[in-house]
Amino acid sequence: MRIALLTEGGYPYVRGESALWCDRLVRGLDGHEFAVYALSRSARQERTGCWDVPPNVERVRTAPLWGPEPGGAGVRGLTWGSYGRREKQRFRECFGALAEAVCGAAPDRSGPDRSGSDRSPVDRSAAGHPHLDCAHLDCADLDRADLGRSLAALADRSATVGTPGSGAGSARPPADGQADRFAAGLYGLAQLAAERGGLAAALRSESAVRILESACRAPGAMPAAHAAQVCDLLAVTDKLERALRPLSLDWYGQRGGDAGLSDADLCHAVGAGPAALPGLWAKRTFGVPLLITEYGVRLREHYLASAAGAVARGVAGAPVRALLASFQRRLAREAYAQAHLITPGNTHARRWQEHCGADSARLRTVCPGMDPTPFDAVGEQTAQLPPPGGPRSSGAPTLVWVGVPGPAKDLGTLLHAFARVREAVPTARLRIVERPDPRAPEAADCAPGAAADGGSVPAEGGADRPGGHPEGSGGYRAHCRALAARLFPALPPGEESPVTFDELGSAAVPTPADAYALGGVAVLSSTVEGFPVPLVEAMFCGRAAVSTDVGAAPEVIGGTGCLVPAHDPRALADACVALLCDPARAARLGAAARARALELFTVRQNVEAFRSIYRDLAQRPAEGHRQPAPGNAGNAGNAGNAGDAGDPSEDAVPFARPPESRLRGHAVTTDTRWSGDPVVDTAAGAVVPGADGRRPVGRPGRRAAGALTTGAGSPHVPSWARPDRGPRESAGGPRPAGRAAVGAEPGEGTAP
Amino acid sequence: MTTGSAPGDPVRVLLHRHRTLCERAVDPLEIAAGLEADGITDRTVARCRHRDVFSLAEELYARTPYPGARPPHTGDGACGGSARRAPSAESRHPRPPGAAGRRLLARCAPLVLPLLPGLLCAGTLAWSVLLRDGPAAVRAALCVLGTLTVLGSAVAALRAVPRVPRAAGTAASSALSAFPALCVCWLAGYALYGDWLLARLLGGGPDASSGAPRMPSPALPLALALAVAPVVWGARGFASAARRRLAGSRSLEDFAAAVRPLLALSVCAVAVGLPVLHLAARALATGPLAAAAPGAAPAPQIPWPAAAAATGALGLLFFAALLLAAHGFRRAAAAGLAAACAAEAAALLSVPVARLTGLGALSRPPEALVAHLGTAAVPVAACGCAALVLLAYAAGALANASAHHRGAAPV
Repeated sequence: MRIALLTEGGYPYVRGESALWCDRLVRGLDGHEFAVYALSRSARQERTGCWDVPPNVERVRTAPLWGPEPGGAGVRGLTWGSYGRREKQRFRECFGALAEAVCGAAPDRSGPDRSGSDRSPVDRSAAGHPHLDCAHLDCADLDRADLGRSLAALADRSATVGTPGSGAGSARPPADGQADRFAAGLYGLAQLAAERGGLAAALRSESAVRILESACRAPGAMPAAHAAQVCDLLAVTDKLERALRPLSLDWYGQRGGDAGLSDADLCHAVGAGPAALPGLWAKRTFGVPLLITEYGVRLREHYLASAAGAVARGVAGAPVRALLASFQRRLAREAYAQAHLITPGNTHARRWQEHCGADSARLRTVCPGMDPTPFDAVGEQTAQLPPPGGPRSSGAPTLVWVGVPGPAKDLGTLLHAFARVREAVPTARLRIVERPDPRAPEAADCAPGAAADGGSVPAEGGADRPGGHPEGSGGYRAHCRALAARLFPALPPGEESPVTFDELGSAAVPTPADAYALGGVAVLSSTVEGFPVPLVEAMFCGRAAVSTDVGAAPEVIGGTGCLVPAHDPRALADACVALLCDPARAARLGAAARARALELFTVRQNVEAFRSIYRDLAQRPAEGHRQPAPGNAGNAGNAGNAGDAGDPSEDAVPFARPPESRLRGHAVTTDTRWSGDPVVDTAAGAVVPGADGRRPVGRPGRRAAGALTTGAGSPHVPSWARPDRGPRESAGGPRPAGRAAVGAEPGEGTAP
Repeated sequence: MTTGSAPGDPVRVLLHRHRTLCERAVDPLEIAAGLEADGITDRTVARCRHRDVFSLAEELYARTPYPGARPPHTGDGACGGSARRAPSAESRHPRPPGAAGRRLLARCAPLVLPLLPGLLCAGTLAWSVLLRDGPAAVRAALCVLGTLTVLGSAVAALRAVPRVPRAAGTAASSALSAFPALCVCWLAGYALYGDWLLARLLGGGPDASSGAPRMPSPALPLALALAVAPVVWGARGFASAARRRLAGSRSLEDFAAAVRPLLALSVCAVAVGLPVLHLAARALATGPLAAAAPGAAPAPQIPWPAAAAATGALGLLFFAALLLAAHGFRRAAAAGLAAACAAEAAALLSVPVARLTGLGALSRPPEALVAHLGTAAVPVAACGCAALVLLAYAAGALANASAHHRGAAPV
């Protein structure tokens, strides 16, 4: 398959988010062809360089989401880009729709969301009365119903521009409110960019600012938007221009050049932010399936970054932040709504996605993976030699903490808890192994999942928050040492201190595996945690773990360790004492932990999960409105947008489209193949997709008759085995025969 | 946990603890993200009797008191808030002490740089006075050197005008910036030698006997070089004042209404300042620097009001073009300059063309203009008309807020 990997501030750049994960994925799935489409976030990121891409990455294309607009040359006034009068008018309509949706008060989700953000003073006092609130909002929606209708007509018109008659009758109902308006505006702008090349000049023009201003002053806008001033409007249009830049790129094979995304079999977007924009447009125009993977929820990161910016610099006033957050929220919502499959990394991300409108039927959690091989030696050792009930050969019962010291790690609680442990087990020792700070330049984190999970984001965000520890990492380390010295006063010489601090990479502890080998029980005392990498490492090493109940720790640890509440030294101490006093139990738990980690959190598991996901998506019934040629991509058939998004029954048809159907030269229809018909007439097979595409809309019951008349499909195909593709196919044009076989690798189905 | 001792309302405790977060949040999801980053777990959420952190964040958002920071419809509070926030952000990040000198330099350089061309030009003239008996080669070298330094310092002074950032692809813009530079050189050259050339042409054509071309008076180059200062100061002042208006204005109409008087003020200042400078240059040239141009006719051929008007029109055209170019309308600026160039060239060319082709009607307008108003009327008309058109365009274009946006956000 040809997979377009869409990243934003990610993969090919060394300092990117989830870059390590992407690298592993691309290297692991070497049977697929990848094309990386990367959006960079800053000049610094571009300066740090790129990974060496493996040979199965056939091209890497990058575009900046920062800096001045590309190609605009700052020319204003006399030339408005290359736009004529009609294009200007279309831009105004589309951007108006987008701006109105962004400024609109009500997030389009029924429920308490609405009561939250549309608040007049009356509403605030009546926050407990959702009925009142909903009534108020419905009025606002009614006010704008006519605009919605006109926009639906607009979308309809733009759909029919490319191929007349293709999108008729498929306009979305205007009742869906602002999400619909957002989508109409977004795709209208994308259409304009595809036809005219570049939105930057238009988005920076005065008329965009005027549109945004009038949207902000509209009666239904949110209060923060009402307060927006001129500089806020300018800042927002600036940011919107950057965020919408992916639409203006030449990645779609629409204006000459290579085929780009139109040729891909799957768009795999890392994050539901701007990275998903090309995927959305490719799905809408070419019917390329969209897969979204989020290890750190992009929307949440946006909120944290925006809040941190407000605290730190005060550059972004409240209206700017509100409008941009609204834009990101709606974009994420649209991405979740359009994605065929969304793979969160953990339950936490999953919850965010569900809250933002992702259909839970299309969510599939894929745990991040780490490389277990560095820990195999230690892990195997414990697995082979379970201690026979007595204390470990290492002597004193020892607790190990490994991690980057920081306020979020709450070492204070750990030290206090260890003081209690010493009361119960006087011989107990605590080894604190400090990792170098991964944020320091080029301190390559040896924990492979650290980059993959995005879990460091909440921790860092926590440290940056005003409530966080004011000192840096070094200050915190000194603080911890001082606390340890106070809690455990110096012993007479010759006796070792119960608490020792080691640096990872020093002579005593060269690798993380050695660190975990120091002790029998691993402890994690964080108050904030994303995906707890040390915990997984401890599990790989076969160590029983005691962890606080934060972040993804519960789902990582499962039943193979102890969970205690955060900020609770007593509970932490009790759990540690219980494990230290019962080494046999600790060994059992450790073995179980290793088995669990090897099953769930290896790179191999992660890659295999995506391999099967790719296969599933490839087997999906093809989108009906897949375009034959990139040239007339204009007919943004908004057909099938409502239908194909969330029909789980459709996904559930097994082998509806076997992988072999994608092989070059095997133009075999799915139906023929599945029906067990041994005779595959290649000539008929070559004809079939075309005939298939022209099949009239009909219910499955009538379809057998249709197949009979065309003579392509077998009449005795059971209806449950056939994908329900009637409405979709009716919307799109006929699919050329070559299209079905494009992008298949010969060994794709069985590639390692 | 520690919040377990809260009497009845755990949400209130949470609200108190995360007060800044809740007050700054723009929507509930931001509170949810911040709460999670602060380590709120499902246990805490459950103690607050909420299903998940989102509904808890919504309650917090709804219950946060906003001390006037979020008025429902009027923007007064927000204006004050943002205005208040700026100095606090400033004070939170104290500048390093070593940067004070550099800051002072950065402050003063734009004020001093525009004076440089005038000073250099005066220096060149003074040297030519001193070397008036020297060999011709030295004098020519002095002239070339002086011209180059004056031009270079003028370019450096123009850099002081804040401008919208250029795009990443500079290939198009370099070609675009060479053309206006050529136009400027042509216009300046015409101002120096055009009148002489036109007079020659009208008087029967160029004959070799008339000697080298010469400028009417050393006051002209001095006046032109001095004119860089008001032009640059005016453009800079307008840009910074407009930026200040931008920060304070609430709607686009307010901003436009505030900027138009600014524009008129700066244009008036420049229009008044240029003739004054011309007079000063003239006083200087007739006084101490009178011997700078040895071959010059002792009696000025052109009465000073006409010369002042020519200098003023040219300066005003430069000012309008600079304003437009600095705010992103480079093509309009180049078009205006090119139009003035074309008009002057047409006036010059029409005379020999009419003579050669026998079409007397072609040369009649410049002849009439020169006959009634003198040779200086041609540049006054060309530059003045172009300047007026550009200024009229600027009055509309520079009132737009987007023309004053410099993409302040670095990322």
